[in-house]
Amino acid sequence: MKGATEFDAAGKQYKVTGSGTDIWARADQFHYLWREMSGNFSVTVGAKFLTEGIGHRKAVVMLRQSLDTDSPFVHLAIHGDGTPAIQFRNSKGDTTNTVDFPVEGPGTWKLKLVRQGTTITVWIAKNGGPLRELGHTIYQIGNPLLVGLGVSSHSQQAVNTVLFSDVVIEPLPAAQAR
Amino acid sequence: MYRISAISGLFLLSASLFGQGGSLGAFTNSGDVGNPAIKGAAEFNPTSGEYKITGAGANMWAKQDQFQYVWREMQGNFAVSATVRFVGTGADHRKAGIVVRQSLDADATYADVVMHGNGMPGLQWRSRQGEDTNTFDPPFEGPGTFKIKLVRNGVKVYLYTAREGAELKEIAHTEVSFRNPVLVGIGVCSHQADAATTAIFSNVSVEALETPPPPPAKK
Repeated sequence: MKGATEFDAAGKQYKVTGSGTDIWARADQFHYLWREMSGNFSVTVGAKFLTEGIGHRKAVVMLRQSLDTDSPFVHLAIHGDGTPAIQFRNSKGDTTNTVDFPVEGPGTWKLKLVRQGTTITVWIAKNGGPLRELGHTIYQIGNPLLVGLGVSSHSQQAVNTVLFSDVVIEPLPAAQAR
Repeated sequence: MYRISAISGLFLLSASLFGQGGSLGAFTNSGDVGNPAIKGAAEFNPTSGEYKITGAGANMWAKQDQFQYVWREMQGNFAVSATVRFVGTGADHRKAGIVVRQSLDADATYADVVMHGNGMPGLQWRSRQGEDTNTFDPPFEGPGTFKIKLVRNGVKVYLYTAREGAELKEIAHTEVSFRNPVLVGIGVCSHQADAATTAIFSNVSVEALETPPPPPAKK
């Protein structure tokens, strides 16, 4: 099923509707809203599922090498059931790795992802609480890359809509050598 | 108590290169993985229940691991926990932790729950033999004595950690597919080819967990 994006310029909000089996294993199906960037940056966004659906439907802040279905990517995902996760595909056509955090239950989320060289650090907040750092991974991805927001319904037979609000994308200075 | 499954001929061949003398408590074997330039050593004190493990090695990272390992063979699901502290000074990223490996090969599939010298916990894994290591590191505050725990439940590998005195907390889990049996143990790596480092593991527990039967074959 086809996805769609609506931008509300007054409210600075994006309604992203996506279908697709999943963003997982060796191939991804989801709706993506992106721009090209290089270097270091920070992405912060509010995310709220507007539709019911499968527990593992995903709203993500993603870095992706290309639009190929099996492209390398790393993302911070919030699942419909409130499971935060860092997931990544190291090389084109490879399987997906996951780091799943304890389930927090459904809610309204703030997601933050920072790229500093090969270090990808993620934060999350639920229902207006303070941002909490979940941790970081090490991920190699070339410049330029596609930075964006994605939605997958985790089902070929369903679509889900996520409201992304208060989107802030900020370039950061170059990281010091690790 | 645990029953060690029959040791295969291949395993015996590997084990013959490794120390098997004396009691290693919850484990059966010890030795260096990846042939570090400086040899490691492991001692178990049955009175205190402490393991003193000295290990060298460039790292457990990328496509090759070098470290001192104390292990046993296991099947199915299990939980391993320990209290760990480093002795003396060393590299920030020296590692002491609980390591599950497919084999003793330096580039074997593995998953571990480690504490770094600077107090950073890590959940690290190599999904397939010869591949690069993946890592997840939660936020941390600095060095100390820590409780760590690794749980294998099917393909899921869980990281639990806490500072000594605090309640052990589930942090996250990843997914790694191993064949049975696997090697389960504790290990130390100095993160320096030219120096060894020592860590003390206490309150070590290795517990077999219920393993659900495999799903029925599809018709």
